[in-house]
Amino acid sequence: MLARVARILVVVAILGLVVTLALAFRRDPHDIRTGTVNKPAPAFTLQRLDGSGRVSLADYSGKVVVVNFFASWCLPCIQENPALVRVYERYRSSDVVILGINYQETRENGLAYVQRMGISWTSVADDDGRVALSYGVFGPPETFFIGPDGVIAGRHIGPIDEETLVTAIEKLRGQAATR
Amino acid sequence: MNRRVLIAIAVLALAGALAFAARPHETTADDRVAQITAELRCPVCQGLSVKDSTSETARQMRDLVAQRVREGKTDAEIEAEFRAAYGDWIFLSPPLASWTGLVWLVPVAVLAAGLALVTGRLRSTGVPQPSAPSTTEVAALRERVAREEAAEG
Repeated sequence: MLARVARILVVVAILGLVVTLALAFRRDPHDIRTGTVNKPAPAFTLQRLDGSGRVSLADYSGKVVVVNFFASWCLPCIQENPALVRVYERYRSSDVVILGINYQETRENGLAYVQRMGISWTSVADDDGRVALSYGVFGPPETFFIGPDGVIAGRHIGPIDEETLVTAIEKLRGQAATR
Repeated sequence: MNRRVLIAIAVLALAGALAFAARPHETTADDRVAQITAELRCPVCQGLSVKDSTSETARQMRDLVAQRVREGKTDAEIEAEFRAAYGDWIFLSPPLASWTGLVWLVPVAVLAAGLALVTGRLRSTGVPQPSAPSTTEVAALRERVAREEAAEG
């Protein structure tokens, strides 16, 4: 009797493992829903990379905010930059804001990168990495989508493409329009 | 006598050393930072704690923990701050209070299943009983005993 129960337990354990793995492999590895997703975006105030004042997340209250953590030493950041530039041009006169947060490097290097890559949106410096830690950043590039309600609706780890950006932005704009 | 005295002195010295090592002492801020960062997973490393990693991210996390300790935050408050950002993943040991804590039950479950399997197997097969000797074997044994007794005279 006990042996039968043990056999059933082993079969159940193996089935559980198979189901868990099957579900895990179906998930998009760029979309890790831990920590800050579906929670209010941590507030911050940071110095602009060019030193021309400070920027707070609260300044963009009621707007769709795309927060992009980047660094000049990060090759995937260079790879994703053309998509960000195109999306910025597409939404520049709308209620969508792109905010770049320079991460783990000197302001001089960050500013040189921004100028070299044709980045026109606001870029700020996270000198001590505290903002990145409060967002649960693993490493650049990482992109967070914050809705007009100030809640982080999604996060993308790794280089992002134009389609993913537009889809996430339009979803948030749609939600804002129906509110 | 001398040997007994020496053993007594050695035992007393050992007990004194143990008592000294186990004495209650105040945890310093550095001790707390070390304890907390030893439990935090470095996000950019492979299985390293924040305490042991030399990465820039781990350094920033150590600085943050040290600042929070200086601000008078409790260990639980500091851990909650990291949990809010990274989830339970940030802890090297899965917390017992969350569903990931179920992982601690796995060894117990495996052991119980193994015991049940072995017990069931033993019960079904039973302990082998020695069979009774046949008449021929008894006769041969008696003959051997008689032979040995005759030889001994």
